[in-house]
Amino acid sequence: MSPHLSRRDLLRLASAAATVPLLSACAGAPPAPGAEPGTFTVYWNAGHDYQAYRKVIAEFEQANKVTVTFQKYQWPDLRTRLLADFASGVVPDVVEEPGGWVQEFALSGNARSLQEYVDRDGAAMGFPADWQAVTVERNSYQGQVYGVQLHLTCTLLFYNKGMLDAAGVQPPTTWEELLEAARKLTKDDVYGIALNQDHTYANPWLLQAGVRHYDPGTKEVLTPRDKAVEAMRFQADLVHRHKVAPVPVSGTDYSGPQKLFSAGRAAMIITGPWDLGPIKETSPDIELGLAAPLKKDGQATNAAGTSLLVPAKAARPDLSWDFIKRITALEVERAATEEVGMLMPRVSWAELPEVGNDPLIKPFADALGYAQDSSQEIRLTGQSGRFDEELKKMYQSVVIQNRPAEEAIEALAETAKGFLK
Amino acid sequence: MSVLRPRTLSARYARTAYLFLLPAILFFAAFFYLPIGNVVSTSLMTGPQADRFTGLGNYAQALADPSVRHSFLVTVAFAVAVVAGSIVLGLALALALDRPLRGRVAFRMMLLVPYLTSVAIVGLLWRNILDPELGVLNRSLSAVGLPEQQWLNTHPLLTIAAITLWQSAGYTMVLFLAGLQGIPETFHEAAKIDGADGWHRFWRITLPLLAPTTLFVSVMAVISGLQAFGQAYIITNGGPGDATDLSVFHIFNVAFRARDFGYASAQSVLLLVVIVAFTLIQLRAGRRGEVQY
Repeated sequence: MSPHLSRRDLLRLASAAATVPLLSACAGAPPAPGAEPGTFTVYWNAGHDYQAYRKVIAEFEQANKVTVTFQKYQWPDLRTRLLADFASGVVPDVVEEPGGWVQEFALSGNARSLQEYVDRDGAAMGFPADWQAVTVERNSYQGQVYGVQLHLTCTLLFYNKGMLDAAGVQPPTTWEELLEAARKLTKDDVYGIALNQDHTYANPWLLQAGVRHYDPGTKEVLTPRDKAVEAMRFQADLVHRHKVAPVPVSGTDYSGPQKLFSAGRAAMIITGPWDLGPIKETSPDIELGLAAPLKKDGQATNAAGTSLLVPAKAARPDLSWDFIKRITALEVERAATEEVGMLMPRVSWAELPEVGNDPLIKPFADALGYAQDSSQEIRLTGQSGRFDEELKKMYQSVVIQNRPAEEAIEALAETAKGFLK
Repeated sequence: MSVLRPRTLSARYARTAYLFLLPAILFFAAFFYLPIGNVVSTSLMTGPQADRFTGLGNYAQALADPSVRHSFLVTVAFAVAVVAGSIVLGLALALALDRPLRGRVAFRMMLLVPYLTSVAIVGLLWRNILDPELGVLNRSLSAVGLPEQQWLNTHPLLTIAAITLWQSAGYTMVLFLAGLQGIPETFHEAAKIDGADGWHRFWRITLPLLAPTTLFVSVMAVISGLQAFGQAYIITNGGPGDATDLSVFHIFNVAFRARDFGYASAQSVLLLVVIVAFTLIQLRAGRRGEVQY
């Protein structure tokens, strides 16, 4: 054989080399981490890695002879990863989601119905009877359960008792009282209240004014419109007209108001239980008070919190369900509350003596009973992602850039017509 | 089996060159051209799973979409600021550090450090510095009696462009320094003998002979400016409102928040076409302006 390559040999070599990446691309994805024998993959929020959950994971591993790969992400990164997984078919066994994804992924066929498991084990584990009604509704689609609520949170008014006492101000209960209190508390380097740059913090205001994100009957967004304008204008006025709140700065971080509160630069903020820990840690000297949600046309707060779902292509749904059952047990809820003060979705959790006796948890537990989910209708259109983007633009243009609320909401409604046909 | 030897020396060289190039070609095919092909095919699909054929529907929608147009204009404004700033700042720093200064190596290193730092770290650093209430900048301004600023709210696009310049200035400085050191000193000496002052020498000798470097810097700055993502993602989240909704950030949101991979792919292809067009125009215009002494 000649030591020289013939043209045909060269072509063969080149063809063979060229087919390597092509074939490897066609060969399909590598096996899912969760599908590997002995491993079980869980996607989790980076801020929710509690000892109480670690204990459950250890028990789960022992009982099922598997190793749990506990992958922690911030929410945006978790979503990016999960959507890439859905596209590749390589999916985790269980996913913690921030609220709203369960119905979105049920609608798109990426989440697995858990109804057969609920039918089998629901009575024994207390699902859905022992879960707050709103949490079952927001995790169901077309009469089937697709997710189980893990945490149930809402926002309340946090206030600095020392500052309010010094100014002779009582914790406000209405919008008018809030404005009055904020005026009295604003002086020197201190703002009466600090608003968040994150648009989801507009939800309590909208709910208190009786505004829904979407009305499927009329296909209108932010309805009733005049109430939506009033709610948005009130928030913008706190910043730009009355100057009792600093201008929020757009970004990915929603801890701005908490940092101001902890630094003694804001007397009141509206936030949830996730800020209890940072305030206690960074400013133990601040005497923290919690007030019930404000009243306008009604008293309301937004139901939020995370849920667990199983991807449709998860290889071992029986194991996934077992994991969900274990980690949502009442004793685990109790341990997580004791550890970090997290709020939980079980009705029986709200009745625990340690919940009722804790001055920083009881106000939340009381409010959870009437917390509302403002975005359920929009989620069921399958367009919640686009709507959320438009809502962010509207909120920031009004509250940060002081654009007239009527104009900004009208622009949102016009854009929404395009994708909510 | 036919024995086939290249008939000429140049053909043999060519064959050897192609064989050496083969691994790189395969790498690019696997990790660039196949994914680009995949993006092009996805751009013809619609739905959350990108599984319904829609032909050129996504392209037509993108061309008529005001939010796409807005994000493109924002991106062009950002790229223009970055290109102009890169050239002016990079050249100024290079001219300053091309002189026999004490500690100029240390200065060069200091200016290069931000370029070696990830955009995520730079973004978080500047976000903290610029925080209107708790940031170092406003604390310093008020300490010396100057009015406090809200740059991320009042001039968000200009602010992230300035941060980008701060990060990339060291790199463009190095490029211009290399260009300056490639200009023979004899040209300047001859001009001095002819009575040309420093200003004239800069305009008539330095700047024209730096044209290839300037072209390279501007092409790279346009490409990176049009592809910018981290600044919007880390510092402003595209806001306030949509003031810093850069194209790649917009595409990312369409794909991963709105879950419309087909539409996002179409916008990616359009952006690729725009970047290639800008680059070709710059290369043509730049080469025409090159001078030889």
